[in-house]
Amino acid sequence: MTMHPRAADFPQSDLPGVIPHESELTAGVRIEPGRSYGFFTDTTVCIGCKACEVACKEWNNLPADNLGLTGHSYDNTGALSANTWRHVAFVETSGCGGVRDTVEAPFQSGWLMMSDVCKHCHNAPCLEACPTGALFKTEFDTVVVQQDICNGCGYCVPACPFGVVDVSPVDGKAHKCTLCYDRLKGGLEPACAKACPTDSIQFGELSVLQARAEERVAVLHERGVPGAYLYGTPGAPGATGDLGHLNAFFLLTARPEVYNLPAAPTRPANRVAPSLASGLAAVAGLAVAAAFLLGASDRRRS
Amino acid sequence: MPVREGVVTIVQESRFQLVGDDGSAHLFILGRNAAGEADQLAPLQRRQARVRVEYARTRNLIGFVAEKISVCGESGR
Repeated sequence: MTMHPRAADFPQSDLPGVIPHESELTAGVRIEPGRSYGFFTDTTVCIGCKACEVACKEWNNLPADNLGLTGHSYDNTGALSANTWRHVAFVETSGCGGVRDTVEAPFQSGWLMMSDVCKHCHNAPCLEACPTGALFKTEFDTVVVQQDICNGCGYCVPACPFGVVDVSPVDGKAHKCTLCYDRLKGGLEPACAKACPTDSIQFGELSVLQARAEERVAVLHERGVPGAYLYGTPGAPGATGDLGHLNAFFLLTARPEVYNLPAAPTRPANRVAPSLASGLAAVAGLAVAAAFLLGASDRRRS
Repeated sequence: MPVREGVVTIVQESRFQLVGDDGSAHLFILGRNAAGEADQLAPLQRRQARVRVEYARTRNLIGFVAEKISVCGESGR
């Protein structure tokens, strides 16, 4: 990315305040309400530094959790939770179709690293399940939990097909990535994307990111990584089951399950009508059976 | 219940950072049984009010659970 011309206006290290529309300088995008924003996570350039995890915890004042050793490679947070909104997965593998294949020098493992996050689904199941309206779509097309409205019922937790939302036992409320809603309102790029040293996490307007991701996949295919594909763009794996598309989408080089992502996530609301119909059919069937049995016993008595 | 006094410097949702007189900063999460809401924390941060926090320790978390917050010199929570 070339330097934005406005960057020359701020040469000093000590700034008097926040730079207006700072995201233009750091992410090349001006944040304006009414547009759709998201993350493009290119796992082929993730080095597993966890700067995103740290930046997220620092900005959102989140406590360190899951203390101790997980025993899973260099993964120390384990999974997304109420206190961990970015999770860098370390998948030790061998042979993923090009990138980090089994041709490394001795004693080098094949690692797949991916910074997982809330997907900010277009048709967000957590939002659909929320009975209080605490989960809502922001003016930036992201999904956020309003803490003062959340009653901690936890319906959003099983509704999320990615296992992102979590209710904290400490404050009894649901928590997840807000895509730095407060920063977006201030014209700042989300903390994780800003901290990413390799631009594995890219923030921007969704249509721009999707086009950039398609180009990146084509480049990787040219360079001999035929297994590279997108997860969460319209029509791609991850954007199945009426989810529409994911505002936080990924470029992967192995099956989604390898990264602990569902191969075909679905919207639980799709199962409401069939469940209701099967329930009603079961009740009707039982009623018919009961009527038949009672009728038979009456006939025997007479 | 242990107590810590200081100034609220950062507030995010129900989490806040309290800086004591010795300059040490500690992370607190407003407990589910605390008689207060998360949106009452931001005014404390804006006022740079000196507060007294009664807290409990948590398992598997580097942070404390704030059970009672009182503004020093006031009786409010």
